[in-house]
Amino acid sequence: MSATPLIQLSGVGKSYPLVQKGGHQLAQVWSRLRGTEPSHVFKALQDISFDVYKGQSVGLVGVNGAGKSTLLKLIAGVVKPTTGRLERRGRIGALLELGAGFHPDYTGRDNVFLACALMGLSRAETQTRIESILAFADIGEHIDQPIKHYSSGMVVRLGFAVATSVVPDVLITDEVLAVGDESFQKKCIAWMENFLMQGGTLLLCSHSMYHIQKLCQRAVWIDQGRMVMQGDAAEVSRSYLAWHDAKAAHVTQQNHLEKLKNSAHYQIKSWSVNGSSDQTLLTLDMGQALNIQGLVYSPDGRRPQVSVGLLRSDGIAIYGVVSEMDGYALQQNKDGLFEFRIEFMHLQLLPGKYHLRAHAMDPEGLRLFDQVECVVNVTGASRELGFCRLAHQWS
Amino acid sequence: MGLLKGQVSALQVLWRQRNLLLALTLRDIQNRYTGSVGGALWALMHPLALLALYAVVFEAVFKVKVPNLSLGQPYVLFIALALWPWMAFQEAVMRGTTAVQQNGALVKKVAFDHELLIYSAVLSCFAIHGVGFAVVLLVLGVLGFNIHWLGLFSLLAFVPVLLLMALVLALLLGALQVFVRDVEQLLSQVMSVLFYATPILFPMAIVPGWLADAMHYNPLVHVIEPLRNALLGQGSMDIASVAGVALGSVLAFAAARAFFLRLSPYFEDMV
Repeated sequence: MSATPLIQLSGVGKSYPLVQKGGHQLAQVWSRLRGTEPSHVFKALQDISFDVYKGQSVGLVGVNGAGKSTLLKLIAGVVKPTTGRLERRGRIGALLELGAGFHPDYTGRDNVFLACALMGLSRAETQTRIESILAFADIGEHIDQPIKHYSSGMVVRLGFAVATSVVPDVLITDEVLAVGDESFQKKCIAWMENFLMQGGTLLLCSHSMYHIQKLCQRAVWIDQGRMVMQGDAAEVSRSYLAWHDAKAAHVTQQNHLEKLKNSAHYQIKSWSVNGSSDQTLLTLDMGQALNIQGLVYSPDGRRPQVSVGLLRSDGIAIYGVVSEMDGYALQQNKDGLFEFRIEFMHLQLLPGKYHLRAHAMDPEGLRLFDQVECVVNVTGASRELGFCRLAHQWS
Repeated sequence: MGLLKGQVSALQVLWRQRNLLLALTLRDIQNRYTGSVGGALWALMHPLALLALYAVVFEAVFKVKVPNLSLGQPYVLFIALALWPWMAFQEAVMRGTTAVQQNGALVKKVAFDHELLIYSAVLSCFAIHGVGFAVVLLVLGVLGFNIHWLGLFSLLAFVPVLLLMALVLALLLGALQVFVRDVEQLLSQVMSVLFYATPILFPMAIVPGWLADAMHYNPLVHVIEPLRNALLGQGSMDIASVAGVALGSVLAFAAARAFFLRLSPYFEDMV
């Protein structure tokens, strides 16, 4: 982490003039020329302060209209702050909303050339990159069709391909992952992970807590133009989700932050693996059984779901299952907690280190809330390749 | 001197962003001919068709003879030499005025110097009508009209001044148009008045004294009239007047650009 942040916001605010009838537009021009604010404004953002250092990845979370996009626009330099100080260093690549700045009447190719020119590339420099851009966007011969005939997924793919054709110091993306299909999302995430590994800095805005948790170390939660919380991505996104649920359930929102810190979300209160609740390092022989049991807290008394899975030490998932998939219902005990037990018989993982993970989930089995994890060391002697033994027979 | 610094920074912006300026200008030009079968051929067809129209109307129908026109040069030549510079100017101002508004998607989503939108709109008009003017001159020359070819050198002075004048108006109106949409409407009215307040269809020499005095406040008079005279081979160029107009245009450009830059941070709010 370098000493000076790439992006520095202190007390940043942005106001938009409210549209008024009559001759107010002229009055507005006059007030702008004199350097004063118009009288009727909407404060989209107020008093936002945080720093982004090189190599960090920061996620922005918040409901629609909270001011996330405005904040990204400020950082991208499209919008100037009304108040406060905003400093930016290094090359900033931004992909704001669908197909940043594409013109619907021009062909994909023409738009690529203009978008590259906007990033400061000459025609010749674009020419050398166009092949890789087209390959990444993967829209085939449609490239010579006007953008207005593209599907939104195609526009986003092209936009992402262009924005990443010159590797920026800071990449800003606004909800792009939401539009692309599964395979493109994977491609984007792979690109971003690689970008982060190379020391790139990422600013991401997403409604998917999964993406925030997967890609971001830190997160900033914004609501009604103000910063509610910033810090570790998992922590912020958890609090945000819990707050969001509370809001949806019309729970009084007073002191919601304090409540979140305690118990307003589904969480695994305790768990044990093979009878041991000390999960620092667990050792078992290959082919042995893996027994997991635990207690889940539900804030609203509804029956939560649990997911359990195993990952390689590099984070690649090997297997995961949610109680809801198997139709398993957690049993409520006398303390009001929900109990689960699961056994993996004859664990066929090859010797090595694995991560065992469990999450508490909402009753619908849609969202992950809590996460507990331990390292499982599988011992044994085997010269087989890969990481798990598949049942087989030579004949 | 702040003003001088302003001009230097305008040049710096142009140089640093030359790739973008070129791309925007090319797109502007391309924009007019994409989707048409004739393509760029229209760029040649349009001026020639217009020229033929004027020839028929003024030579065959009206049989106009301008009294002070020496050498017996025909009226169609007289008009052509002033009309294309005027068209470049007029269209550049009109397009420049709506340039920011029409590129709203870009302004809202990409960080770049908004002034480039104005420059590219103006440049593309001058490029298109410059080509048109060249074609018209060539055709007139081939047809045996008496053009004073050495006068072409005077264009080196007049075209940049005309360009600057167009830029001044485009910067002022383009910024205003973002806030007040009436500008565009008003402008087409003003332009048709300006057309007759500029010696295009007539020479200044036949304008009565009191009106000529008023018309001299129109800066275009000091560009269009001498430009045509140079190409007709009439009179000699008044260097002092040209230098004065050029200096005035540069100063006006600095002021107009300052105005534009003052308002440009707020474009995103309005487009």
